[in-house]
Amino acid sequence: MSDGTISFQERMATAEFRVHHDAHIVVDGKVCADCSTRECVVACPASLFVPTSDGGIVFNYEQCFECGTCYIVCNREGAISWHYPEGGHGVVFRRT
Amino acid sequence: MTIVACLKWVSHPGEPHDERFSGMSPADQSALEFALRQAEQTGTGVTAITVGPSGADKVLRDALACGATRAIRIEAPTTAAGTDVATAIADHIAEAQWVWCGDYSLDRGAGSVPAFIAAHLLAEQALGVIAAELHDGSVHATRRLDGGRRELLEVHAPAVVSVEGATARLRRAGLHSLRTAAGATIEVIAATTPIHQAEFMVRAYRPRARELPAPAGEGPLDRLRVLTDATTSSAARGEKTTLEPAEAAERIIRALRDWGYLTP
Amino acid sequence: MNQPDVDVVVVGGGPAGSCAAIVAARAGLSVVLLERGPFPGSKNMYGGVVYPRILDELIPNWWEEAPIQRWVTRRSTMMLTDTQALTVDFRSEAWGKPPYNGATAFRPDWDHWLAGYAEAAGAQVLTDTTVVGLIRDAKGAVAGVRTDRPDGDLTARVVIACDGVNSFLAKEAGLYEHTDAKHFTLGVKETLSLPKEVIDERFAVRDRHGVDIEILGGTGKVNGGGFLYTGLDTLSVGVVLKLPKLAAQQQRPEQLVAGLKAHPAIAPLVQGAELKEYSAHLIPEAGLTMMPKMTTSGMLVAGDAAALCLAAGIWLEGVNFAMASGMYAGEAAVEAVQAGDVSENGLRGYQRRLSDTFVLKDHRKLRRAPELVLSDRVQHLYPGMIANVAERVFHVDNPHPKPGVRRILAQERKKAGVRRRDLLRDGWTGFRSFG
Repeated sequence: MSDGTISFQERMATAEFRVHHDAHIVVDGKVCADCSTRECVVACPASLFVPTSDGGIVFNYEQCFECGTCYIVCNREGAISWHYPEGGHGVVFRRT
Repeated sequence: MTIVACLKWVSHPGEPHDERFSGMSPADQSALEFALRQAEQTGTGVTAITVGPSGADKVLRDALACGATRAIRIEAPTTAAGTDVATAIADHIAEAQWVWCGDYSLDRGAGSVPAFIAAHLLAEQALGVIAAELHDGSVHATRRLDGGRRELLEVHAPAVVSVEGATARLRRAGLHSLRTAAGATIEVIAATTPIHQAEFMVRAYRPRARELPAPAGEGPLDRLRVLTDATTSSAARGEKTTLEPAEAAERIIRALRDWGYLTP
Repeated sequence: MNQPDVDVVVVGGGPAGSCAAIVAARAGLSVVLLERGPFPGSKNMYGGVVYPRILDELIPNWWEEAPIQRWVTRRSTMMLTDTQALTVDFRSEAWGKPPYNGATAFRPDWDHWLAGYAEAAGAQVLTDTTVVGLIRDAKGAVAGVRTDRPDGDLTARVVIACDGVNSFLAKEAGLYEHTDAKHFTLGVKETLSLPKEVIDERFAVRDRHGVDIEILGGTGKVNGGGFLYTGLDTLSVGVVLKLPKLAAQQQRPEQLVAGLKAHPAIAPLVQGAELKEYSAHLIPEAGLTMMPKMTTSGMLVAGDAAALCLAAGIWLEGVNFAMASGMYAGEAAVEAVQAGDVSENGLRGYQRRLSDTFVLKDHRKLRRAPELVLSDRVQHLYPGMIANVAERVFHVDNPHPKPGVRRILAQERKKAGVRRRDLLRDGWTGFRSFG
């Protein structure tokens, strides 16, 4: 995914993420399996949710902006559990 | 028994002039964690020590919050030379049994401070350790060697151990010890020996020029070959020998001298 | 009851939290300010402009040391269609001199600076500490917070929750009825670097003077808006997107930013600028419609956590509302602690202050504005209609004589498919809100 000038990976590399070893996002794959709308895939600004060919969703938590978009747009009760990462971890902005 | 953790206040490589991004390096965090574990095993405390300006108090407060019992800062600029830093620390921890350090500092680390401290204390040393096990009265340390080999060391007090980052994950400070550490006393002392600025090498290292006789050879190409050693096999350039350590050192120094890398 | 650890615990080191801590600590209360990032501001992101007038009360002459990028002396409101742009541009030299009006600033700088005042006032600022829940007393009143540190409970007489748009604390306390995606917009922005001289030239400003451009349209089929602000040697360009629409239109946020940057009216301004940082944050857009109950026994909610963000088209403000609400929460907490009554009734001074000042007055006045601005007509029909009117008014079509503006208006309204009734109704809503 690119906006024509830089890759999405390069885009995400502009922000710093102090990754914690425990995920702060947990997705219940069983709930996602029969979801057809997949709001999280489109809306997550860090593109952390990726659909798989077998109808599931894989997700990353490492480069999360901690904005909360995913669980708020999600239509399925209980599909996404989300909390803030442990203190001192996660995104660190500099020029925002 | 005194256990010491030597910690350095370093800046984030990406934001070298921004104190918001400064703190303890991952290697120093590991060193502190080992010191704390050892203190728990032996029922003693950890003295955290740093050499730096007042901003360096930050790493000492972090250490106190994690469980260090005493914090000492030797007043010095951040640019202090490694040898002087080691002397200043060694002077203040002469009675130390175990000294834990990070292997390299993040900013300009050469990894020399732990070695100098060990030299001053006449202590055993295990430097650049990638794994350490704490035993009763000793530490089993693993060092990385060339070709994927490992060196296993058993060190006894007094000893200096310097560890890589990620050898141990520093424990998380408790909320109330964090609050207490914010107001805790940090002993600030002046160095007993002069502290100099580190001298930075600003050019690539180049061995001293040496005189060579004009190469022998029929044509320019032959002379160039002689001059560049291009056709000599590498085996012919060296020698293989088995010697005792003292003799070996002697032999190496002689060779360096012969080749012009050392002044006689 | 046992003595609590502190009088006041403030959760979140943003503008609301720091102002609350400053007020409470200056009044002599023991205050702990908890921040989950490595320093206050490290988790925070916004469009890029702050209007700090309210700080006059807390920090006299704040402008002498506030870490700002540029003082806003030019404000533009731009209406975009795919190929047209209509801009209303205003500039004032007065805004470039003390006491100033608005400024562009980076939140990691601004929030860190403000938290320094809380610390100077005697509040203890503890970073790297995430609050994970509330502690309640036997009667159910809030009596402190639980953090993710070992030995992490901190009891307090009053908890001031300034924990941002997701406010898990306000939700846990039952102050929000429900969370609805349609009340939120997603702000996505790029901080771009350009040499100062190039920015000065492109935006016709000098010294520390800068530009604030608010953009209606430019986000394709996703309802929202855009913005472009000048930093000293950076530009902040981004979009604000209505969440349900974003998901439904299957367009990625970064593609919409790229679309805005490629618009013929924007592209020359950002050309050649290099991406320094990409960021995103949720905005509690719906104002009064979504606001929680502000007070419960032992706890107050301020800033984004209380949905105190004004998103009303030509006005996009949040930091000033956060600072003011934090300040008033601090005052109410001081009152309650000093009176020895931290019950909901004892803390009622907070709601009163919010109601009596711009914080809720602006929101009441503009309660219909967010919905109007993000409505399909304002988003997709009116910009084209207005831009076409402008184009025809200024288009010289000799040998035809100039047409009357009223006739153009009527024709363009029909062409755009806008019903007269809707136009009048929206005009009336707009007039009541903004008039």
